[in-house]
Amino acid sequence: MVFYSGGDGEQNHTLDKELLRLCQNKSPRITFIPSCSFDGESDFQEFVDQYSSHKIYEFLYFPIDVPSDRVLQEEAFKSDVIHLGGGNTFYFLKHLRSSRILPRLKEFVKRGGILTGLSAGAILMTPSVATASIPDFDCDENHENITNLKAMGLVKFEFFPHYKNSKRYDIELKSYSKNIKHPLYACPDGAGIIVAKGVVKFVGKSFGFYQGQKFKLSFV
Amino acid sequence: MRKEKFDLFGFWPYLIELFYMVKISKAQNAALEKVNSQAWDYTRFRKIDGRHPLQTSVEDFAVLYKTRQRPGGKLAFFNFDFAKELGLIPKDHPEEMSEQLEEAIFYSFGIIIINEYDVENKVKIPEESIHQYPSMATRYLQMQHPDKRGSSSGDGRSIWNGTIKAEGKFWDISSCGTGATKLSPACNINNKFYQSGDPSISYGCGMSELDEGLETAFFSEILHKNNLCTERVLAIIEYPSKLAITVRAHPNLLRPSHFFRYLKLGNVRGATQVLEYYIDRQEKNGVYKDVPKNKKERYQYFLKKVCDDFARVTAQFEDEYIFCWMDWDGDNILMDGGIIDYGSVRQFGLFHHEYRYDDIERYSTTITEQKSKARYIVQTFAQYVSFVITGKKKSINSFKRHPELTRFDRLFEEYKDKNLLKKIGLSCQQSEYIFKHHHKLIKEFRKDFKYFERMKSKNGPYKVTDGITWDAVFCVRDVLRELPQMLLRRHEMIGAEEFLEVAKSNYATAADVKVTQYKKDKINSFGHLYLEIIRACAQHENLEQEKILLEVVMRSSVINKYDRITGDSITTIIQKLINSRPKIRPDQMYNILQNFASYQTLIPEKKVRSEKKSFDPILNKMFKIVRDFREGL
Repeated sequence: MVFYSGGDGEQNHTLDKELLRLCQNKSPRITFIPSCSFDGESDFQEFVDQYSSHKIYEFLYFPIDVPSDRVLQEEAFKSDVIHLGGGNTFYFLKHLRSSRILPRLKEFVKRGGILTGLSAGAILMTPSVATASIPDFDCDENHENITNLKAMGLVKFEFFPHYKNSKRYDIELKSYSKNIKHPLYACPDGAGIIVAKGVVKFVGKSFGFYQGQKFKLSFV
Repeated sequence: MRKEKFDLFGFWPYLIELFYMVKISKAQNAALEKVNSQAWDYTRFRKIDGRHPLQTSVEDFAVLYKTRQRPGGKLAFFNFDFAKELGLIPKDHPEEMSEQLEEAIFYSFGIIIINEYDVENKVKIPEESIHQYPSMATRYLQMQHPDKRGSSSGDGRSIWNGTIKAEGKFWDISSCGTGATKLSPACNINNKFYQSGDPSISYGCGMSELDEGLETAFFSEILHKNNLCTERVLAIIEYPSKLAITVRAHPNLLRPSHFFRYLKLGNVRGATQVLEYYIDRQEKNGVYKDVPKNKKERYQYFLKKVCDDFARVTAQFEDEYIFCWMDWDGDNILMDGGIIDYGSVRQFGLFHHEYRYDDIERYSTTITEQKSKARYIVQTFAQYVSFVITGKKKSINSFKRHPELTRFDRLFEEYKDKNLLKKIGLSCQQSEYIFKHHHKLIKEFRKDFKYFERMKSKNGPYKVTDGITWDAVFCVRDVLRELPQMLLRRHEMIGAEEFLEVAKSNYATAADVKVTQYKKDKINSFGHLYLEIIRACAQHENLEQEKILLEVVMRSSVINKYDRITGDSITTIIQKLINSRPKIRPDQMYNILQNFASYQTLIPEKKVRSEKKSFDPILNKMFKIVRDFREGL
């Protein structure tokens, strides 16, 4: 699994390379799931531009907030990599649930598929989407009124994307970390986390928050 | 047509209002402060004062009516973007309403005519409320009118407010719902003048409704963003009982029916004058270039242009599934093929080519019959040009084999081929290359495409609320979106069952999607020709086939987006917006329309990425309605 915080292709070059190293197929088949179909095509375009520089061409666009046919669904889960796009975490979670894709994604990871996510997409791979509600000054709107914040729980940490190493972020994140049982990993844009065979590896300058304390994480 | 009732907005508007108040009040206050703190120039509104060159340059063109201020109006919508384009407000004007701006809009457009009923009945009107110049209700041919010659038909509830020049272009501005004129069918059928707003008569009372106005605003703005020629809405002023004045503009609001009237009446002077006026305006607006000076050549040039425009738009209407009721009278469409009067205009989700609108006295044409009506309009213009040149009106039948009609047929087919190449997702250059060098490929592919697009349900025809229809069963847009992705992944054509699974709509029955040998052959041929087109592009550009397919995947995902508006979805959305409580403010309505139109812009080159991380609930509910109605009428 790869957790992208945010940023553009150039910023994420190292993470992309790490991801491709994880793939056994030299020309992996990648499915892109946008968080919302409103801007989904533009996000897809950016995504394709980012990976086609690595000579990858086999992409599938799979929006889940619109109904899809069986053929597209089956093809999506035959991929080597499934990427969950960035956007509004609550909207994304609502539609992943209503389209019944969540269990299929978990199953996909279980049988060795590589699941990646950017920002909202990455948060959804963790036990909870609560981090999308913090900090107060830069959080996702919960227009969907989602009260059950449980996400896929594929890892035992929570994820905070677009982190800025500043006091006002730290106050909120320290406070938040006091009330959760897992550590919270915060990554700035361009940084991220790779989880493979039970090993957690940080790419780029990342930080952890646990029981009200902040700590630096060693990274590549 | 779907009949489900939605109660989506019930309590949301209250939350939305709260959301707006809390979330964006700061930004709004800043914008309001800006708009109020500066003395903006709104004097250009005053130039739209009823005067129009057509009043003096073409004889017997209109009935002039004095106008007066109509009290009690509230602004329901104002198109800031369009107002900037028209030069009515400065380019840097904030998209916020101010009292002064509202006043300027009300003064120019919050008006009603002083009609024959008012004069006959000596209705007292305060002198100070009467405008200096009269406005015109134009005369044109209308098939629903009893005399069928245009001697007493035309704008029954509209006036032309005037004309304005902005950035070197002239625009005509007209308003609908400004009072009952003597040109309405009701006035002529019942041989009496009606008071504006007379409740005893609906269509002849000279009023229009708020939902009509908003539907026009939403529909036209979306079609405009998708490169369709159309009138656009500048403002909507709401009056009690959900009545409204809708202000529309276009660079040239003349319709074929304005011309045909002179032909029917045998008035060669008027026919020449309106023709000269039209050519002159098109030339001034840069639409007609290098117009010959010689009269005969000048009119032949005009005929060619009309033929081009009507062949282009008719093919475009068919390919975008736009139902626009054209008929022999040349009403319901502008001279340049632009859409006007959205009352019966629809966009279908599938190619429902058996749908007919029920206009009480008659059924409309179907979407495929639009072509023959457009062709007939071109034929009538051939007759018209001959009439103007010779002064003699020959029979319409003697123009049946006019060279422009042969040209129309050829152009129509060419536009259809080009439209399909673009719909596949090829770039302009790729489309042009295939069209020029592999024409047979696209011609053959179009046959297979048409087979699936036009397949009708085994259930047969049935009545819907406003007409009759017979459901199409396949959504070939879905195939064009998904097929390149499958080819890219599998490197081979998908199976027949899979093809039908992707293509089938909710209207399809088990019998409709049964795999027969004929369907199998058609699917194989579809896939084979599709791949041939991709291969030809790859060879031409010296690129791998996968690269071309990937480009096509990305373009096609925008062009053939899953959720595309239909007439039914627009109608449903507008009803929900109108019934929202608290009421949506005009600048809110404008923002909603802008976001909605951006989401419905299906041209890859125009797709602008939104900076928003989420959309307010009202927009999300609108998206859902679009999805729910996406296959309908």
